Amino acid sequence: MSVIFRLLLMVGAVFEFILVIRMIRKSAMSIADSIFWFGFAFLLLLLAAFPGIAFWASELLGIESPVNLVYLVIIALLIHRVFKLYVRLSEVNDKLTRLAQDLALRNNEEK
Amino acid sequence: MKTLIVIPAYNEALNIERVIRRLTETAGIIDYVIIDDGSSDQTADICRANGFNYISHPVNLGLSAAVQTGFIYALKNGYDAVVQFDGDGQHRGEYIKEMEKRIEEGCDIVIGSRFVTEKKPLTGRMIGSRLIGAMIRLMTGRTIKDPTSGMRMYGKRLIRTFAENSRMTPEPDTVCHLIRLGAKVAEVQVVMDERIAGTSYLNLSKSIRYMLTVSISILFEPWIREDKKLTGEEKSA
Repeated sequence: MSVIFRLLLMVGAVFEFILVIRMIRKSAMSIADSIFWFGFAFLLLLLAAFPGIAFWASELLGIESPVNLVYLVIIALLIHRVFKLYVRLSEVNDKLTRLAQDLALRNNEEK
Repeated sequence: MKTLIVIPAYNEALNIERVIRRLTETAGIIDYVIIDDGSSDQTADICRANGFNYISHPVNLGLSAAVQTGFIYALKNGYDAVVQFDGDGQHRGEYIKEMEKRIEEGCDIVIGSRFVTEKKPLTGRMIGSRLIGAMIRLMTGRTIKDPTSGMRMYGKRLIRTFAENSRMTPEPDTVCHLIRLGAKVAEVQVVMDERIAGTSYLNLSKSIRYMLTVSISILFEPWIREDKKLTGEEKSA
């Protein structure tokens, strides 16, 4: 893990951190939803600040390069997030359908 | 027996008036409801101007939700059966009496089938139909000759099921699922007309998606659907 790569990770983490704070301030994201992104930024910072963690874990898992472990962790977290997002989307979709149907039926009754 | 005809209509301004006139004047049917699924054309205006009974979705929710709205309406108004009818004039009202008779005999689902006595042609659509038929046979041991027919009548105990469960889409996989739960199915030979104006819900990419969804839903049904055996509630006398 080169110094440049570690710096890049830190910059990315700080950038994300600022973005999340801004979104919460503008009420564009709830605090509950922001927890994942704070944790994500913190994890990136941790991996960049203490490369020993990546070295130790990659050796443990038999991954050749510690950088690959960093990628693996990021990808795994993001896939999990996308999956959860799909579940949420289905729920929201169901609720929206129910709401629209209810509204439509009410309008029909008033006629 | 009170039967509600549910007519989902998405941008059917060119067809809807003729479809309803034919139902009410030729077949003498009064219990119908049009579900205008957020049409961007004049569908709702035409319904209003003609005094048709219609429900307008504020946004487009898709065919399944449109049919479900019809089931909710039927549940609220105490209907004994619901029949799904296309808004483009493919289905004919004259078969409703015979379908009702089967419901009265104790069937839960009556399919207006194009192929009880007629042979199935070899078009792309019908190859899909055969595939779905084969999968249903594999899973239930029952032969449904026209699984993709959109003209289906459902008895009273299924009205609540459809109204309350959004996973119960009005598609062949749901028919398969309901057979496994103990629903009785019958098919009645019908003739369907070609649509006269407008375009269908299905195009090529949607058709492929449809086949995949239905296939997964039928073949993995035992794992992805909750098994709640149908109860005999409110069997109509």
